[in-house]
Amino acid sequence: MRPPARACHTVSVPRALAGLVALLGALTGAVAPAATLVITVHAPGGRAVPGAVVTAWPLDAPARKPAAMHAVMDQVNRAFVPDLMVIPVGSTVTFPNSDSVSHQIYSFSPAKRFQLPLYHGTPYPPVHFDQAGVVTLGCNIHDEMLAYLLVTDAPYYGRTDASGTWSIEVPGGHYQISIWHPRLRDEAADLERELTVRDTDRAELTIRLVKSLQPAPLTDRPHSWDY
Amino acid sequence: MQPPRAFADLSAPPRHARRAALALATLAMLTATGARGATDWEASLDLRLVSSDAEPSFMEGGLGTTRFSGRDDGLQLGRARLALTQSLGELWSMHLDASMFDDKDRSPVGLTEAYLLFRPYPRNGLRFRLKAGAFYPPISLENRAAGWESPYTLSFSAINSWLALEVRTIGLEGTLDWLGTRSGHAFDFGVTGGVFGWNQGAGVVLANDGFALTDRQTPLFGRVGQPGAAPLEGAEPFLQFDHREGVYAGIELRYLDRVVLRALRWDNRAEPEVDDASVANYSQDTRFNSAGVRIEGDYGWTGIAQWLDGETTTGADWPGALSSWPFRAEFALLSKRFGRHSLSVRYDRFEVDSVGADGFGAQSGHAWTAAYVFNADAHWRFTLEWLQVISSSSSRADLGGPPLLTETELQLAVRYALGASSY
Repeated sequence: MRPPARACHTVSVPRALAGLVALLGALTGAVAPAATLVITVHAPGGRAVPGAVVTAWPLDAPARKPAAMHAVMDQVNRAFVPDLMVIPVGSTVTFPNSDSVSHQIYSFSPAKRFQLPLYHGTPYPPVHFDQAGVVTLGCNIHDEMLAYLLVTDAPYYGRTDASGTWSIEVPGGHYQISIWHPRLRDEAADLERELTVRDTDRAELTIRLVKSLQPAPLTDRPHSWDY
Repeated sequence: MQPPRAFADLSAPPRHARRAALALATLAMLTATGARGATDWEASLDLRLVSSDAEPSFMEGGLGTTRFSGRDDGLQLGRARLALTQSLGELWSMHLDASMFDDKDRSPVGLTEAYLLFRPYPRNGLRFRLKAGAFYPPISLENRAAGWESPYTLSFSAINSWLALEVRTIGLEGTLDWLGTRSGHAFDFGVTGGVFGWNQGAGVVLANDGFALTDRQTPLFGRVGQPGAAPLEGAEPFLQFDHREGVYAGIELRYLDRVVLRALRWDNRAEPEVDDASVANYSQDTRFNSAGVRIEGDYGWTGIAQWLDGETTTGADWPGALSSWPFRAEFALLSKRFGRHSLSVRYDRFEVDSVGADGFGAQSGHAWTAAYVFNADAHWRFTLEWLQVISSSSSRADLGGPPLLTETELQLAVRYALGASSY
């Protein structure tokens, strides 16, 4: 069954006004956003889903581009650390190898195809991610290594905490909320919601997964074993 | 009863095949020393304190079903191992695995595996792998630790002990994998095919001794049994004298990193009536089907089951008439990890029938193995294993031993490992 689109009811300000406020805020940069979005992700049994990626798009104002950043995804004990990152479009990521064994990193995801030939340490310049989408990373030698980069062009993004919640301050307005998780079995499009929040207000939304997540990767196996 | 081999002459020069393999290994070693690129070393020393009431093993000329017999009580070498993985440029690598088992083989040190691996990057979700050299075909779901060891027990299951003793791909293997887990799916799927030679003796241990539970891996130029000791007479499983290559084909299905399913058909296509008179090696025409599943769950639980069903045929001892030994074996293993500790229990069942050999070589039995493993740190590992094999063997009866036997082997292993094979 499709979960309710809005778990909590939100505000009823005329959209045009909210949009105008948001637009003014974005244009001048002088008006600090004061509304708060609180998004919670629950598994079918009601348990919190930590680590889910949440993105928020303003629907009634031009989206500001998220600022590109530089991030580091390390390789330790034949695992990517961290094994999931969200980065804005245009960001760069360095992939050092802190292991004593060599790794050979690849992605054949449409959003970014690249390879880092066999290496230790940090011999390569950062990789530039200029297209939105999910980038799945693997090591061509150690199949147990698996990681994800979600490259997003959403102006607001983040990940849920241990209680399955992510919150952010935004200008009041109408937003489209999407979630993503590498182990999600629901269609991501089925979990998109819209949400309106008025300045100085707080809008809460709980997104309930219809299908339980796939099992998590096993992390306690000795890393010298064959996968 | 199988007569002793009349033509034993172990001073015979190595065959072309072995020369070729030796040349390959030497070439690989030389290339490695001059090659630019990553070098990963692994070294380990595994010592055992043994208490056993088993009959002497096949390597001592007996028909016991365990590696160590009542004669071996006390301190023993489990294995000393030195392995090297050397990248040769970007897409090729070489792997050499050398071991000592201190088991009266013709050379104290031998290569259990030596191969080149070609691993191009995946394209559009598909990945190809090519292995060339000497290595294990992808059958065991138990021998997943460095050096083809089992991380669960010291002794391998009957099926995988047999592979360790007699089966090796000396040739080429190609694998094509669809990497679904790298493109948003929960499954990976692979197909494998191999072409090999120099495994014309595979099955000689099964036909004469039957199954055993051991962790001895016959080196590429090694032998099984001792010269002059019936019935194996120091036969060499890794030989070829009939110019017929063997083949295998298999599939592998994976669900995330939790379930692996494998099935493989193997046939060495040996000509069973060709005898190698110079070194008393039988030609064993051996074929089998195998399948297995490994399931890993939360809280450190692992379950493994494997099944093997095949037949080995030779005409060497009964000219004009072929003798066959249909064989089958299966095991189930359950293991639970508690941090750096693990407890494992395995039940094995095995059977060899004898057709056209006056009943010689018929065996049936089952075994229980229980092991506790403690990985104290990255280098030290302690293992306590209890193994009991209950078997009946017509070969043993024919050679004056008890047909029905219960053998119990207790081992305490201390292993120190360095390099990539450490915990």
